Parts: sequence; C-alpha cells; structure tokens
Amino acid sequence: MLKEHLDPRKPSGTGYTSKVRVRDKYHIVGFISSGTYGRVYKALGKNGQKGEFAIKKFKPDKEGEIIQYTGLSQSAIREMALCSELDHANVVQLEEIILEDKAIFMVFEYTEHDLLQIIHHHTQPHRHAIPAPMVRSILFQLLNGLLYLHTSWVLHRDLKPANILVTSSGAIRIGDLGLARLFYKPLNSLFSGDKVVVTIWYRAPELLMGSRHYTPAVDLWAVGCIFAELLSLRPIFKGEEAKMDSKKTVPFQRNQMMKIIEIMGLPTKDIWPGIVSMPEYSQLQSLAMSRAPGHFPRSSNLEGWYQSCLKNGGYATSSGAGTPGADGYDLLSRLLEYDPTKRITAQEALEHPYFKNGGPISANCFEGFEGKYPHRRVTQDDNDIRSGSLPGTKRSGLPDDSLMGRASKRLKE
Amino acid sequence: MAANYWASTQRRHWLFTKERLADIRESFRERDKAAHSQFPLPDQRLLNIYFSQQLIKLGKRMSTRQQALATAQVYIKRFYTKNEIRHTNPYLVVTTAFYLACKMEECPQHIRFVVAEARNFWPEFIAPDVSKLGECEFALISEMNSQLIVHHPYRTLSELQPELSLTSDEVALAWSVINDHYLTDLPLLYPPHVIAVMAIIVAVVFKPSQTSFHGTAAPLAGAMRDGGMNILAALGDKNGAGPPPRIQKLVGWLAESEVDIRAVIECTQELVSLYEIWENYSEKHCKELLGRMVKSKNLDK
Ligand SMILES: Nc1ncnc2c1ncn2[C@@H]1O[C@H](COP(=O)(O)OP(=O)(O)OP(=O)(O)O)[C@@H](O)[C@H]1O
Ligand SMILES: [Mg+2]
Repeated sequence: MLKEHLDPRKPSGTGYTSKVRVRDKYHIVGFISSGTYGRVYKALGKNGQKGEFAIKKFKPDKEGEIIQYTGLSQSAIREMALCSELDHANVVQLEEIILEDKAIFMVFEYTEHDLLQIIHHHTQPHRHAIPAPMVRSILFQLLNGLLYLHTSWVLHRDLKPANILVTSSGAIRIGDLGLARLFYKPLNSLFSGDKVVVTIWYRAPELLMGSRHYTPAVDLWAVGCIFAELLSLRPIFKGEEAKMDSKKTVPFQRNQMMKIIEIMGLPTKDIWPGIVSMPEYSQLQSLAMSRAPGHFPRSSNLEGWYQSCLKNGGYATSSGAGTPGADGYDLLSRLLEYDPTKRITAQEALEHPYFKNGGPISANCFEGFEGKYPHRRVTQDDNDIRSGSLPGTKRSGLPDDSLMGRASKRLKE
Repeated sequence: MAANYWASTQRRHWLFTKERLADIRESFRERDKAAHSQFPLPDQRLLNIYFSQQLIKLGKRMSTRQQALATAQVYIKRFYTKNEIRHTNPYLVVTTAFYLACKMEECPQHIRFVVAEARNFWPEFIAPDVSKLGECEFALISEMNSQLIVHHPYRTLSELQPELSLTSDEVALAWSVINDHYLTDLPLLYPPHVIAVMAIIVAVVFKPSQTSFHGTAAPLAGAMRDGGMNILAALGDKNGAGPPPRIQKLVGWLAESEVDIRAVIECTQELVSLYEIWENYSEKHCKELLGRMVKSKNLDK
C-alpha cells in the first residue's frame, strides 16, 4: 500500500529527487512556442502510453550559470493548482505534472489548433470568413467552458484567441490558466496584488477605467471581443498599450479606451452609472474634451460595425444558418456592454436566442466544414527539453499579441 | 458550502478514515523502529500546537491572513502522511508550507524575506541559502500531487451566519474553534462544512464570554463533555423538554440540513480531547525533542 515510500532514490523528506522523469515517459518531437514563463513542446507518449501531448515547461531562474531553486512563481503555482482541480470538456486537459531538474513540466493533451491560428488561416491568402455555424459552435463551447470556470469560482482573466485551443476534432478547450484565480478568496485579494491583467485588446472597460475589482464580467467582455474577431478576422479594439512608467504606476490606457469609444460610443453615467466613481474617470473626461465635439460618437455604433462586418464577410444580412444574423448582434452587444453589472453572464449567454434559435449546435466546430486547417507548427530548433532553459524571444508559428500583454504581466509578479 | 467541494481533489484524494491514518503512521514506525525509539516525539496534537505557534510567529510581521496559516497547516499534515517526520527537518517543512500557502492564498511573500524571517526565529535550523526552501517546495508540491487548493470551514461559517442569525460573538467563537481544529487530524478526516457546523454548535451551545479557548481549555473541555454531549444526544429526540429556543432553532436547522450528525458529534469529541491534552503542552519540550532529532540526524544539512 505504501510502497512509494521505499523509493531508494529519495533522500531525506525535504530533499527532492523526481520519481518520474519526463524523458522516460515522453518522446519530445519538437518545439511549439515560447512565452514569458517558459516553453511549450510537442511530445508523444512512450511505453505504450498513447497519444500526443503538449508539455509546458516553466523555466527555472538562473543565478549565474547554475540553475538554482529560487521558488516558483505565483503564476505557475496557480496554474498547477487550478489545472489539477478542473475537469471539463471545454477546459484544457492536464495529464500530469512532473517536477524534475528544478523545473516544472505540465503535460497537457495536445491540441492541433488554436483560435489565433484559425483566424489567421482565414486571412490567407485572402480574407474568407469563418462559416457561421463554426463561429456559433466555437462561441458556445467557449461560453460553456467559461460557465464551468465561473461556477468553480475561477476567473480566467486572459482570454484571447491564442489561449483558446481547438482539438483536431473541433472541440474548444480554454487554455493558459496562468493568470486565472479563485474569486471567492475573501477580503483584499482581488483588489491588491496584480495590477494589470488581460492582454490589452481584450481588456474590459472597467479595468481600463482603473477598477481593481475583478468580476467574472471581465471574461465576458473578452468573449465579446473574440466573437467580433471571429466574424471580422481582426481584433475589434486594437489599441496601443501605454507602457508602465519607471515608477511602475499603471498608466491610463488612453489609446485602447479610444478604440473602444470609436465603436461603442462615449460611456456616460446614464448607461453606466458606476463610471463616475472609477479611478480614471477624470482621464476619460479629459480624453473626451481633447477632441472636437462630435469626434467621438455619442451612442454606440456597434450595429453599423456589425452590419458592415457581415457584408464584408459575405454573411447573409437576413437570417438563417449562413449568418449570425440579428441574434448574433444582440448577443455581441450584450457581451460588449459597458457596465459590468449589466453585462451578460456566461449562463445567460448560453441561453441566448443566438444559440436557442437556428438548430442544433455541433460539439465539433468543424462539422460540415470542407476546408482544412494546417497543423500546428512544430520546429526542431530546440527540442532538448532539458537544456532549453533560457526563454526564447522568438515565437514559432504566427505573430502573436500575447508577448505584448505578458510584458506587463511580468512586472506585476 | 462550495459547490465545487464535491468534485475537489480535497474530497477525492485527501480525506482519510481514522484507520487509514493510523495504518500510515504505523507503517512509518514499522519501517524505522530505531528512529522511533531513539527520537520519541510528543503526541501529534502537541506537535501541531507547536507548529501552529511557529507559523503564527512567521506570519506576524508579514501581515498574513489566517486562511494562509490554515492552508499551511493542512499542507504540513498532508506532507506527513507521505513522509516520516523523523526523516525531515520540520522547521524547513513549516517554513516552506508557509511560503507556499501564502502564494496559494494570494498573499505572496518573497522567498528571501521568508527565509530571513525564519532565520530570525530558528537560525540553527534554517540555512541562509534560499535554494533549500525552493527544493523543499518541490518536495511538498510533488507529495501533494500539485493539489494545492484547500477548502476551509471559514467560508461555510460566513455563509451560514445570516441563515442561522449568528451573533458576532458566536461567529468569533466558532472561528476560533475552526482555528483549533487544525491542531487535530480533523482536516484530514471530515469535509469543511461538517467542521463548520461543529464549530457553530460549540459556539452557540457554550456562548462563553471568552473569545478564545486557548489557556482555558480544561474547564471548557469539561463543560463540553458534560453539557454539549447531552445536547447533541438530544438532537434526535425532538419531543423531549428540549433545550432553550436559540438552540432549538439550530437543532431544527440541523435536522433539515443533510449534515451528518454523527460526524459532527465525532468532531466535537476530537475537539474535547484536544482541549484535554492541551494541558500537557510544553513548548520547551517540543522544541527540545525536535531540536535533538534534527541535530543528531543532520536533517538541517
Ligand atoms: N495543449 C496544447 N497543445 C498544443 N499547443 C499548445 C497547448 N497549450 C499551449 N499551446 C501553445 O503554446 C502557446 C503558449 O501556451 P500558454 O499560453 O499556455 O503559455 P504561456 O507561457 O502563458 O504563453 P504566453 O505568454 O504566450 O501566453 C499557446 O498559445 C499555444 O500556441
Ligand atoms: Mg498564452
């Protein structure tokens, strides 16, 4: 029963030798991506263990030439703990975690695609819209995974196309829980600590306005942005991030706010009563004042944006399976609701007419789709999982926005 | 109670029966009889009192939340279901559990600061090199299979406060009963909501003027044994003369709820025996025995 205690390699209880070795269990076939926290590799199971895996290695800090134990980052700890706890068809599946050679290896099921790659594919060689039923299935699965996270008291806080994984059989898996956290933790927790969250293009207006109180609504804003991007193949609010100054105070994200206002109109206290007490309210007022009257739309222009998006994408403007139609617009406008207290919840969104009307939704988002997406790019330039401890700056595959977002993420740890 | 406790790793992997815990401990003893006779240690609960006092010291200057201390205590318990204490440096385990729990409970502390603080208190047991703590963190996480999220009874307590219209005194007392239960094996034996209900019953039934049991354990233990058990025994007997209305309300709620009354009674008994054994606690004694063990086995190296 207690055989594990007899491991002869194990020194005293507090010393550490891994009982399991990554290379004994997995064959590393190549390198996928390198982010702020480490690298992701593609691997195959060994010794009869079937399947493909993605192994995320958290790099150990280096002190001089020797790698030392320096304590794990809070982000790694959160991701490890949350992934061990969660279990849902629309959340990335963790196989195991191996602690070896002073590094952490999180072994996930391998997913062939992600939304960033899928969106990118639809812009090549020329723009061709993602079929409406596929958008609907993606969004439904995404919201379904998000509902599970929220009912498990988990805020994701970094939803963006690169973090939404898609399996070869068309299942959506929410990935990258590196910024996720539990929100029932009482008292100060959601106010203090990390200041900047969510890649700027997907960042909810209340966060831009300086709120430090995260609620599940921040994730639903991001879902709205992703919905819009699936339809238009471009980030809907593509702002430029204002960098943190030397005093590490978080600047007002003026440009990002402007991008939102250009489409959504100026937020007023009528539509968003809480806005007057937001820390950056005066910044918003001076932003509004700095432009000629009428420069910013008074009211939302989202419907106009949506209609021209349908037109450009060749979606039918009326209704039917070939278009997200009027229901799609209504859902989008409820996701991109300024006031976080009025914004639609994951539960409500799943019951929206966009999903209720228009027939069954496939659990395979590729169902009925003729085209083929390319496989995830796996390179050979670094597939030594043991030595690759320095973070690469280069990302294989597609250009990505995530490095930009993570740069500020690093600062807050 | 949290909807997700039922699916949690805590429920699936970290709930033991009393027998299983006893088996584990017996197997440790079997495997290293020499160490056990050479290095006798105080009763596990007395050691736990000692550990928790060390944690409180560590947390003092770092404005740590109670919940982080509670999580650290659970980590220590889980770790010692996988490792014989006599093969470890408990001071390092306590410090590491604290460091890890602070990160998990969203009040992170820098590793250098934690090590410096620990060296203030136990310079002879904690090396200045932070990598020791980093390594122990790996051991802790690995033994716990990265299952680091701990559900605590505090949350159930605050959820039940309005429902049972508990006074702030009652809540404070229940809170301190919950603090005390970390000194026993209870966190490994029962789900958090059972503990919370037990704490509420103890608080409502005894309503003592003191806000904490510490130091006054013996009279309380007596009172709980004599009075509390009777009341608990009367829970099933709804037609009897019955206790005062305040308590009747609680009894009524309990009957409605699906809480396992037997489990609640067992928890109360564990607590009573904790307060009894507390009488024998001596910090000096724990310190001496642990110190001798760590030093003569070179566990601090
Ligand atoms: N399970 C998986 N299967 C295949 N590829 C994956 C998997 N998980 C992650 N990836 C790829 O690796 C990239 C980075 O993973 P992830 O977002 O988890 O790490 P990160 O260090 O937080 O990265 P970033 O800083 O870029 O967000 C993803 O965008 C995706 O391309
Ligand atoms: Mg990512």
